[in-house]
Order: sequence, then C-alpha cells, then structure tokens
Amino acid sequence: MEQTPHVKHPPYVWVWVGLAVLTGLELAVAFLQHWSKTAIIIILVLLAVWKALLVALFYMHLRFERNRIRLLAIAPLPLAVILVVAVLTEYVF
Amino acid sequence: MATMAAPLEPASEPHAHELSFVKRYIFSTDHKIIGIQFLLLSLVGLFVGGLLAMLMRWQLGFPTEPMPGGGILPETMAPGGILLPEFYNSLVTMHGTFMVFFAIMPLLVGVFANYLIPLKIGAPDMAFPRLNMASFWIAVPAFVLMVSGFFVEGGNAGAGWTSYAPLSANPEYTGVSAGQQLWCVSLVVLGLSSILGATNYITTIVNMRAPGMQWFRMPLSIWSLFITAILTLLAIPILSGAAIMLLFDQTLGTHFFLPPGGGQPLLWQHVFWFFGHPEVYILILPAMGMVSDIIANGSRKPVFGYKSMVYAIIAIGFLGWIVWGHHMFQSGMNPLLGTTFMVSTLFIAVPSAIKTFNWLGTMWRGSVHFTVPMLHACAFVAMFVIGGLSGVFMASAPVDIYIHDTYFIVAHIHYVLFGGSLFALFGAITFWYPKMFGRMMSARWGYAHFFLTFIFYNMTFFPMHGLGVGGHMRRIYDPTQYEFLQPLQPINTFITISAFLLFATQLIFAVNFIVSWFRGAKASANPWNDTGLEWTTPSPPPHGNWEETPTVYHPPYEFSSPLVEEDSLMQSQRLEQPAVSQAER
Amino acid sequence: MAHAAVMQPPVKAETGAGVYNEKLGMWVFLGSEVMFFTALIGSYLILRVAQPGQWAQPGEILNVPITAVNTFFLICSSVTMVKAFASIQEGNQQGLKLYLILTVIIGATFVGIQIYEYSQLIHHGFLPSGYREGSELAEHAAAGELPAAIGLYGSTFFTMTGFHGFHVTMGVICMLFVTWKAFRGRYTATDHRGVEVIGLYWHFVDLVWIILFTIVYLI
Repeated sequence: MEQTPHVKHPPYVWVWVGLAVLTGLELAVAFLQHWSKTAIIIILVLLAVWKALLVALFYMHLRFERNRIRLLAIAPLPLAVILVVAVLTEYVF
Repeated sequence: MATMAAPLEPASEPHAHELSFVKRYIFSTDHKIIGIQFLLLSLVGLFVGGLLAMLMRWQLGFPTEPMPGGGILPETMAPGGILLPEFYNSLVTMHGTFMVFFAIMPLLVGVFANYLIPLKIGAPDMAFPRLNMASFWIAVPAFVLMVSGFFVEGGNAGAGWTSYAPLSANPEYTGVSAGQQLWCVSLVVLGLSSILGATNYITTIVNMRAPGMQWFRMPLSIWSLFITAILTLLAIPILSGAAIMLLFDQTLGTHFFLPPGGGQPLLWQHVFWFFGHPEVYILILPAMGMVSDIIANGSRKPVFGYKSMVYAIIAIGFLGWIVWGHHMFQSGMNPLLGTTFMVSTLFIAVPSAIKTFNWLGTMWRGSVHFTVPMLHACAFVAMFVIGGLSGVFMASAPVDIYIHDTYFIVAHIHYVLFGGSLFALFGAITFWYPKMFGRMMSARWGYAHFFLTFIFYNMTFFPMHGLGVGGHMRRIYDPTQYEFLQPLQPINTFITISAFLLFATQLIFAVNFIVSWFRGAKASANPWNDTGLEWTTPSPPPHGNWEETPTVYHPPYEFSSPLVEEDSLMQSQRLEQPAVSQAER
Repeated sequence: MAHAAVMQPPVKAETGAGVYNEKLGMWVFLGSEVMFFTALIGSYLILRVAQPGQWAQPGEILNVPITAVNTFFLICSSVTMVKAFASIQEGNQQGLKLYLILTVIIGATFVGIQIYEYSQLIHHGFLPSGYREGSELAEHAAAGELPAAIGLYGSTFFTMTGFHGFHVTMGVICMLFVTWKAFRGRYTATDHRGVEVIGLYWHFVDLVWIILFTIVYLI
C-alpha cells in the first residue's frame, strides 16, 4: 500500500481557463477593423507572451524552481533576440 | 520543488564481464569505449579530408598536368587524370566539410569530451550512457551520407563548406543536385548526434562531479569542454534549421534564399555564420583546455592565472556569439552593423591573448620537460599566436576589403585549425593514449613525427599569407588563368610539394598509433606523473572507472607543491594534516 | 507548492543544478530546441519584414477557426499532462494512466487536424513553393484578391508548422512509451522522473505553438 503524500498543487485548471480566455481575446483582436496594424500586432504579441509565460511558469513549474533552473530556461533567449534584431537591421535601415 | 535525485549508477546494468562482445565493444554504453569509437571514426575522417586536400594541391601546383595515378578516378571527376573544375569545387567543399565536421569536431569533442569528462571529474560514466551510445551511432550514418555524395550523379556538394545560397540552392548553378542535398541531410543527422552529446556533457559536468570537485577545482580541459558543450548545444540547431531551409529550397521549391521568389541570400549568410562563428570556438576551446593541462604537466608548475584562464574561456564563449558578421564584411551587409562586428571581433582577441600569456607564464621558471605532448602543446601556442595575429588583420573591415576570400584567410584558418587544434590533438592523443590503451606510443617516432610535421606544416601554410596579399583568391581551379597571378605560381608549386611531404609524414603517426596499440610499452596508471583524477585508476580504467568514488582535496595542477616530496600532488590524494595548497593560499 | 519525497543517491556528489539528471538534461535539451525554432521563426520574421507583399491577410488563405480549435486542443493536452503529473505526485496510479491516455489522444488529434488542414491548403493551391498553377487560390491572385506571389508565405508556413508538427509527433510517440511504463506500474509517488520529463517536453511544444499560432495565423 503506497502512502499518498499530501501535495498542494498550483492552480492548473485556473491557468487553463486563463489560456482559453486569452486565446479568445487574441481571436477578437486579430480581426478588429478600425485599429492600426501596428497596435494589433503589439497587442497580439503581448497576449501570446502572456500565454507562453503561464505555460512556462505553472505547467513547466518555473515559478517554483530555483533560480539556476530559471536561468537555464531563459539562457537561449538573448541569443535569439540578437540574431533576429541584427539581421532585421539589414532591412529596416 | 521536486527534488528527486537519481542513483549515480543505473541499477540494472550488468557487470562488464557478463556482456557479449557486441555489447561491450560495438554497442557499448561505456564512455571510454564510445570515446575510442569516435577516435577511430574521426581519424578516418581526418585521412579523407587530407586526401582530398592532396588532390586539390595537385591541381593548384601543377594545373595542366595529369595526376600520377589519376587514371583510377572516373571520367566524371578527372578525365585523363586532369581534374575537372566541377570536381575541384567538390574537393574544396568536402575538404572543408570533412575536416570541420568529421575530423576536428569529433576529435576534440566526440573523443575527448567523452573520454575525459567522467574520468576527470570523478564520475563512473556519463549522465545518460545509452544516449551517449546513440550519439555515436547517429554520427556514423551522417559520415556515410557525406561520403556517398561522391558516388551520385552530379558529384558531391560543390558550393564550399559554407554552402552559400543561391549557389547551393539551385542545381542549375553548380550542376550538383543530389550531392548538395546529401550534404544538408548529413549535417542535420550529425547535428542531432552533437546536440545529444552536448546535453550529456553539460548534465554530467553540472551534476556528477565527485565530492570535493568544486567548480574552481576542475581542470581547464573540463572547463573548456563545458563551455564548448554549451556552444554546441545552442549553435548547432541553428545550422540544422539553416540546412533544412536550404534543403527545402533545393527540393520543395521554397524560396528562403532564392532571389527570383523573393528569397534573401544574405539571410543564409547571417544564419550560417551565427552558427559558424561559435563553431570555430568549438573547434579551438577544447584544444586550448587540453594544452593547458599538458603545459602544466610538462612545466611541473600549476597553470599561471588559473582563474583568469577560466574567465577567459567563459568570455570567449560569450563574445563568440556577437562577432559573426566579420565573415560577411564584403557581402553587402549594412555597414553600420558591420562596424559593430569589427569592434566586437577586436575585443575577442583579448581573452585569447590573456590565455597565451598565461601559457607562457606557466612555462616561465618551470622545470620544462619536452615530452612529445609538451612539444605539440608548445607548437600550439606559437602557431595559434600566428593564426590569431592574422585574425586581427581580418577583423579590421577596411583591411578585409583586400584580403577577404584570398589565401590570406586560408592561411589564417589553417594556422588556427592545424597549427592550433590539430597540434593540440596530436599532443592530447599522445598524452592520453596510455590511459586509453594501456600502452605508451613510441617517443622516438613521436619526436620524428612532430619535427617533420612542424617543418612541412609551416612550409605549406606560411607562404599562403603572401599568396593572399598578392591577390590569390580562394577556391580557384586554375590561378594561372589570371596574368597577375602567374608570377605567384612557383609559390603554389612549393606549397604543393610541402603539402605532399606533410601528408606523407602523417604515416609516421598512423603507424605509431597502430603498432603501439599492440606492441607499445605497457603503461602504468600515471606515466606522466600528472595530478588529474584519471591517473588514479589503472590504464585502461575498468568499467565504472573506480571501485569507490574518489574524493577531491586539491586544485588541479598541484605540481612542485611544497606540501609533498613528489613533484606532483594528485587531486584526490589525502594528506595527513589539513593543509593549504598553493592555489588556495 | 508541490513537494515530492527526496531520493537519496548512494554516493554524494558535488552540488550541481539541484535537480535530478533527467530533469536537468531535458531543460538543457529544450535550450537547443529553442535555438532550432529560432532559426526557423527568426527567418520567417526577417523574410516577412524584407518582403511583406508576399503575405495574405490573416484568415484569407489559412483556416483560422479550425486552427483556433486545434490550439485549444493542444492547450487541453497540456492540462491533462500536468494533471497526470499531479496524480502521480500523490501516488494516484489511476489518475496517471487516465490523464496520460487523454494526453496521447488529444496530441494525436492535434496532429490529425494539422494533416487535414495541410491537405485542404494543398487542395486549394497553397504549396511550400507558393500557388499551384491553375488552382483556386491562383485564380483569386490573378483576379487581384490575393498577393501576386506568396512563395515566402508558403515556404515559411509549411516549414515552421511542419517541424512543430514533427515535434508533436515525436512527443506523442514518447508519450506512448511513458503511458506503457505507467501501465506497468513503473512510476511511484517517490520516483516519477519520466512523467515530469516528458511533461516538460510536451509543455514546451505547446508553448512553441502558442507563439506560432499568433504570429503565423493571426498577424
């Protein structure tokens, strides 16, 4: 007979609701008629990042991990930004 | 959060003597066997790369003459023994590709990361032994795929090892179709092998160091392999993505890099070199680390400035990500962006210079023993300085206008890769051979190989600086077609003859390697009187490396320590009284 | 905050990442996956800025409603995955098995719907190389309702979503293996490393899709 440890879980189902709501919001914003394309893009990206953070922090448990693991998780991101931003300067300037 | 920990040894692994021959030597999960498997595979790769170079050099030295023995090559490659220009292009491409991906990289990383990491940190094996085995067996089909390009219609890839698009993306430009696709597929497969390996190396170094093996007690060879693994992990996937996009341009009609459909050739260059520059640090850092170990051993002195050596390795790892544009100064890139790359490239010379002075500082007032590995390590330092200095010229964008894509660049590449990495590898193989095979390589033949290689190597590559400044371009089939290059042709002939002698000299190393395996003098556990953990276990070590996990008490390189009579103090040697070592004083 | 019991290793090692090898290894591997998708997604962003005229408006060619539903499915599979993990943390073997099976089913459904979506797109004339000659979409383009050339749109769309789908498929296969092990009782409240590790991979794949759905379908 296994002992069943008492475990307190993060609010997984609430996060799911949040993700669904944010997705719905994205769909609404994407097809708005009278807003500038730039504003729509910025809002959509922010919504996507918010969703991604919810998954990373709660489902991948980064909210509860020690700093070393968080550092490991975000380490590749600056490199990604450097590559894209640097090459964009070829086309933007 | 969840703090489950795994036992250091997998529970169900049978003892070595119960395993069949196949499980012990072919599909082995033992990091030492896998390291030796990589050694054999990559020495074959080195030979293939060298052979391809010999064919290139014949063409450059004697452009109009049929090659002796060239008759065995088919009509599609060399009718009447005279190389076709298309075949020459594939030689150039494959020489670079084999040397980078199937020789130097697997030699430095596949061999030495695998062999040294568990032994030098006190672990029984890698964190994921079966994944390690998969890493090797994935590299083998990649090798086969790359070689098979020579046997398909249209021949092997011919757009350079850098495979610039649109030349590489459209078969109409090179006449090569399947060969170029095989190049892409082979590198994606090899990339998977490298990424899995890097995952293993990083996890092992972070989580499996023996008690007392603190970060700043790790030998520099392990530090450099650690940073190299991080570079591999993050850079190779970029190449994979690029190669996939190129493959799709070649086969699916996509337009990533093909201008008629809106594709961007500069995109290829940026993405490739974003991988390519960290790649060259992957090709030099492990060599630097192993050279540090060997020079300390040969000087009977701790490495001068150990901590700054570590910080220099980390700095090179960081800065290596923001210099890639220096390969593209003449591409038509945004000049403002180019300037930022010039500045960062000049910066990155600094940590390498720090390391060079520290190697000199290690030898200064040391009790220098010129063993064969020590000679190779010293040659590394000298040749790497030359290669690094030519790099400073190239880092300056205005100077690069004149020397880009000339033999000046070829000289630089070979001074850092051959003069640097390969000399370090000869030294490292000689140094760790006794641990791997339980026998010593012949010192006499080692000295002969070293001196002849050193002389012929400089005769081959130094004149290339002059050729480059004289305007001799890279990847050219027949330089004599240009009037301004004709006066330089005697230099080409001289280089070719030197190169043939250089290649022939490597026979000495090959024979030494093979014969010593069976007839070399039996090696003790510590034939070089070194201080690392690998020398505390028999040569070769048993499965699991130690009966009992060692405990580490001292920093690496405790040579000529005042604490003991002998001139080396093993990292795991326990002393009677608690003592403060030289480095920790 | 959930806590699992600590498994003591037989031999002490130096403090490393503070997590067991398999978890560290998976996070390290995910770093390489971030870089792989960076190459593909980064190229997409760059090409779109370089040649914006080759993209249609959201929803004109791609089927946003079906993909939105598919996105919701993938998010659901992330929930079932984390519920599986939560179950085994408490020693609930039944919950583990149930939620793993659900994750497999939903994950496979996602791939199935993607394949259906691809077949529809190709049928209408949207290829990695652009319009198929004589197709329905090509006619719309000729009539000026769609961009004249969409080669880059096709190239980037199929490559990014195709490799994402490939990663989901690999995930489903590994998930099947983990499910099989769960049915053989190989996971306990004190040692369920395999469940946590496949979970990390699965959530990562979901995360990539969250980004892709927004920047590929909605912008």
